[in-house]
Amino acid sequence: MRTPLLTFLAAVVLVLPASGVLPAFWATLLNMIGISAIVALGLVVLTGVGGMTSFGQAAFVGVAAYCSALLTTRYGFSPWLALPVVLVVTSIAATLIGLVTVRLSGHYLPLGTICWGMAVYYLFGNLDLLGGFNGISGIPPVSLFGHPLLDSRQFWPLVLVMLGVSLYLTRNLLDSRAGRAIRALRSGTTAAEAFGIAPARAKLAVFIYAGFLAGLAGWLFAHLQRSVTPTAFSLNAGIEFLLMAVIGGSGRLWGAVLGAAIVVLLKNALQDYLPLLFGSIGSLEVIFFGVVLVLTLQKAREGLWPVLAEHIPQRRSPVDEIATALAMPVRPKGEGPFLLEAIGINKRFGGLVAVNDVSFSLAKGEILTLLGPNGAGKSTTFNLLTGVLSLSSGEVRIAGHSVAGASPSQIAGLGVARTFQHVKLVPEMSVLENVALGTHLRGDSGFLRCLLRLDRPQEAQLLAEAARAIRRVGLADRIHSPADSLSLGETRIVEIARAICLAPRVLLLDEPAAGLRKAEKNRLAELLRELRAEGLGILLVEHDMDFVMSLTDRIVVLDFGTRIAAGLPDEIRKNPRVQEAYLGSVA
Amino acid sequence: MNRLQTMSVALIALTPLAAQAEVTICASLSVTGPAASLGIPEQQTLAFLPEEAGGQAIRYVVLDDATDPTKANTNARKCVEDEKADILLGSSTAPTSASVAAVAGETGTPVIALAPVTVDAAVEPWVYRSVQKNALMASALIEHMQKTGVTRLGFVGFADAYGEDWLKTVTPMLEAAGIKLVAVERFARTDTSVTGQVLKLVASAPDAVLVAGSGTPSALPAVGLRERGFAGQIYQTHGSATTEYIRVGGPSVEGSILPVGPVVVAPQLPVSHPSRGIGVEYYTAYVAQYGEGSVSAFGGMMFDAGQLAAAAIAAAEGTPGTPEYRMALRDALEGLTDVVSVNGVYNLSADDHYGHDQRSRVLVQVTDGAFKYLALD
Amino acid sequence: MDSTIALFLVQDGLINGAIYALLAVCFVLLFAVTRIIFIPQGDFVAFAGLTLAALEMGVAPGSALLLVCLGVACALFDLAGLRNWPPAGWLLRRLGAYLALPLVLWLGVRDLAPMDLPVWADICLTLVIVVPMGPFTYRLAFEPMRNASILALLITSVGVHLVMMGLGLLFFGAEGYRSTPIWGGTILLGPMMIQGQSALLMVCTLVILGLLWCFFTRTLAGKALQAAAVSARGAELVGISVETAGRRAFVLAGLIAAIAGILIAPITTLYYDSGFLIGLKGFVAAIVAGFASFPGAVFSAIVLGIIEAFAAFWASAFKEVIVFGLVLPILLWRSLTNPHDEEH
Repeated sequence: MRTPLLTFLAAVVLVLPASGVLPAFWATLLNMIGISAIVALGLVVLTGVGGMTSFGQAAFVGVAAYCSALLTTRYGFSPWLALPVVLVVTSIAATLIGLVTVRLSGHYLPLGTICWGMAVYYLFGNLDLLGGFNGISGIPPVSLFGHPLLDSRQFWPLVLVMLGVSLYLTRNLLDSRAGRAIRALRSGTTAAEAFGIAPARAKLAVFIYAGFLAGLAGWLFAHLQRSVTPTAFSLNAGIEFLLMAVIGGSGRLWGAVLGAAIVVLLKNALQDYLPLLFGSIGSLEVIFFGVVLVLTLQKAREGLWPVLAEHIPQRRSPVDEIATALAMPVRPKGEGPFLLEAIGINKRFGGLVAVNDVSFSLAKGEILTLLGPNGAGKSTTFNLLTGVLSLSSGEVRIAGHSVAGASPSQIAGLGVARTFQHVKLVPEMSVLENVALGTHLRGDSGFLRCLLRLDRPQEAQLLAEAARAIRRVGLADRIHSPADSLSLGETRIVEIARAICLAPRVLLLDEPAAGLRKAEKNRLAELLRELRAEGLGILLVEHDMDFVMSLTDRIVVLDFGTRIAAGLPDEIRKNPRVQEAYLGSVA
Repeated sequence: MNRLQTMSVALIALTPLAAQAEVTICASLSVTGPAASLGIPEQQTLAFLPEEAGGQAIRYVVLDDATDPTKANTNARKCVEDEKADILLGSSTAPTSASVAAVAGETGTPVIALAPVTVDAAVEPWVYRSVQKNALMASALIEHMQKTGVTRLGFVGFADAYGEDWLKTVTPMLEAAGIKLVAVERFARTDTSVTGQVLKLVASAPDAVLVAGSGTPSALPAVGLRERGFAGQIYQTHGSATTEYIRVGGPSVEGSILPVGPVVVAPQLPVSHPSRGIGVEYYTAYVAQYGEGSVSAFGGMMFDAGQLAAAAIAAAEGTPGTPEYRMALRDALEGLTDVVSVNGVYNLSADDHYGHDQRSRVLVQVTDGAFKYLALD
Repeated sequence: MDSTIALFLVQDGLINGAIYALLAVCFVLLFAVTRIIFIPQGDFVAFAGLTLAALEMGVAPGSALLLVCLGVACALFDLAGLRNWPPAGWLLRRLGAYLALPLVLWLGVRDLAPMDLPVWADICLTLVIVVPMGPFTYRLAFEPMRNASILALLITSVGVHLVMMGLGLLFFGAEGYRSTPIWGGTILLGPMMIQGQSALLMVCTLVILGLLWCFFTRTLAGKALQAAAVSARGAELVGISVETAGRRAFVLAGLIAAIAGILIAPITTLYYDSGFLIGLKGFVAAIVAGFASFPGAVFSAIVLGIIEAFAAFWASAFKEVIVFGLVLPILLWRSLTNPHDEEH
């Protein structure tokens, strides 16, 4: 609990409805809100944080509800005994569906969820084992210390505790190494992969977690309603859960609770007042919710929680910079004199040759610059070196090890860190969190450890490492600013800080000085020199001649994908071919 | 009004209220969603229900459950907890009624369901129905089949609780009657084509086909069968007993036979039928308000529910709004005998919470675009 | 199963497939031009069918009033978005389209409907009532979301579908309707008996697909739309704004959906909510075609129709499970063959 006020509120919410002071129907509504909020919480993580929209979450609620109904009515399980089984079964179902679903890219994913949402509904209705379209009734109530929780007022504390647990787990998750990895996925996977995050695994983990929460809600649902029918888990129900997440704020923890509360209470209010206003009862409710959904997306795309949260002061725990330093990552020992070698690398896109037989090498403690006009193939070369693109032919070696066919995250694991020409930060995360992404490979706290908050000592180390990197690049005063509030120049510096956090052997910087002011450039040059002195190999792609010439040890010049010259800065400056191809064109 | 309002209102509500003078009947009906064509006439019948019984004023509250069992459950809770209902009505379909019944059993409130819902033994004492058992309806059809020499029957039913219940009901009855079920097919309310099912039915060479659907969708298989040249008898269930069914089916449903509650053909009933008097009264009033051909069996069920409730209120002693009164109402309901309403005569007992007999269903045949009373003997 | 039954099933599949094909083409078109996955597409089909049925029965269709409501909302949106006083011509054009046209239609339909109009007149009225709903919906729901992601647009589109379905119940009621066949005859083709209306449906579908092809390859307006589909910059190059391109695409989609509704109304019973499933299947066909290829969409729609027909024959209870269950592996295959589709 964040503040004493919140604790107090929680106590009030827990005690009042249960005590019988409030009308029983309030407890009924609160139960609906609580159960829906748990499902919506899963959607917050899945959709708002992980960027995967699911219309089919009701299907998992259904799997769990049916599972518990079956176990308790047919096999005589007590509800409590059924709970772990239900959660395991739902997680397995989520894993199976997730294995297919998370591999769907872009908009195929929500479409896929619509399809299995439909299919599961018809499946429920047609299986005799599950009671067909009549469903299963006579489900026993949950008992607590021998008291069956029959009344909605008695059931409420159970819902509240489960909601609390879900919120606690989810908050732990988002505020951790695993959570950062998930949040990074929303704005594209390229940057995440470059720091060793395996997108498919992270997505699957989120998907299962959302399924797990839906399962918990389904168990509660089955024993609150004490009957289950397919209709409760149809696509419409799935759409309603998504509606809650979107209205509340699909990226925010409390958005789920707010959204569920708004939808449930509005539904109830509409049922009371629409007939008074319009006479006939009918379809006005669904029209109203459709309009609310569209307007929310038009006017407040991040949902209503952020609008409210503006007025709630944010408290930040200070970063403990004196936490024990992280151990240096264990990596394969370097072989040979070079940190990075490109040996006759080629890249063809169809008939177009983007990179043609380019070779160069980068030694320890050296700064090498790739120079060339726009379209010369510099960024393509970067992508080839980091595994984003696959080679058409040739070989890349890192510390003497060939990395043919390796993924970006494997290459990152060998100690290669990079920045991007078009900055790839997660806009809604703070500078600290963005930079901490760079430490991903230096930690090993998994999903479960993060959920249960067993990752704290390591998390402190990771954050301390990130904070040190931020101070080193001179952005200490912006450490808690969201990334989207920074200037372009600052975002480039943040990317460098993130790269440093990997404790790299090789640093690939794609136009780091673009958009920087004079003083910032000087500071950047100073930093790069320091890093070189520490033994890093730095590969630069840069346009700014003044910046490069004073800094770099050697230069390789590319034009139309081909290496046209290589040598010391002074030699390149005098090279007539370079002057013609590059300098001439600039001047 | 006891709605969700501010804290202060809620606190005022804590002070003990003066004994309520009126009895509250709260209904959850499927006014929207797939069963809307059932729920709408039920809702419209509200205006014809008794306003008082045994000197007690009756207050009605109607909530829409959108044919969603979860919502029906919430509605029922709202009825009991918020509206302090003494009797629940509804809902329109079996799954939604099961939800309402669960709350009724839990809170000790009598409920009159408008669908043939089966519930647990523990809940059963609280649940009454103003709808004919499917078995009662089916028996009329099977009687007709036997009389006309049908030996092979094809079945095509809704892929939902309604179709499923009918299939479960008729299967043993057909076996007992020596009629072979040669094909069992399913279709959905919103299917745009039932060609596949129809082809399979026709291929199994039945003498007659039973379509178990409700509302206008059940016309689609009939149309398909006629298009494929099927000449045998088409039977429908009481769920299709609306004029909309004839309108949509057109010439293809001419001659089809349905079991219905007497109200659908009230003016055509033999004078000896007990429901004729009250039936014609309701029929005329309803037609006056909603137009010719608007009377359906579903409105009749709601009307019956109203009559049963009124009879129970007249018989029960106690203060409305108390558990004791609800118990008294339950006891009164269980003891009702010879309650004549538009869908027959009710004789309820501890073993029978339907209370119907043969007088509660008649066969009708679609003739010249209207339902015509079809005498069984 | 003998060959006659198989032939009938194929015929049934072709009929359904033809409707799905029309919708699939709309999905692809709208997605290409506006990036909107327009779920309510099917609702327009149902609206058109119900409007036609109402006109045939001599009742003024609720959709005319619905159009007035949409028009008023559009006009209000436009006026609310104004910063300064617009040119009179612009104002007149907008108000004419948003207010005058629906009002005239509504008043006219109320007088015309009770008259015994010929079929073609009913069809024309249906078209002028339903087609403008396309661009009106675009104006209300999607124009304010210019820079939204595909996902935000998709969720919006689901919201619009909810509204449409609710309005459908409000304006048409819960009952199903079926219009009289435009051509009631039957054709005998060997062992096959084809209903005239079914034949008409397939011929019309072919003609529409042909016309669409001509429109996109032969006419300037069609080419401009295609250019807009390639990129917003492409649209600017051919001199139309993104909004104009979007509106035109929605007019076209509204038109095709309305025709589909008119064609299917005599074959089946339509309900206010029938459109969703019809649309969803057209949409599945569009997905299978990767939201990119028109011929691919048509082909997959027809295959889907045939699969559905056979599924209904073999396992009618599991028909939808089969149809929607089949989509997942196809989506997976799509994603794997088209992996770097990173659009955010």
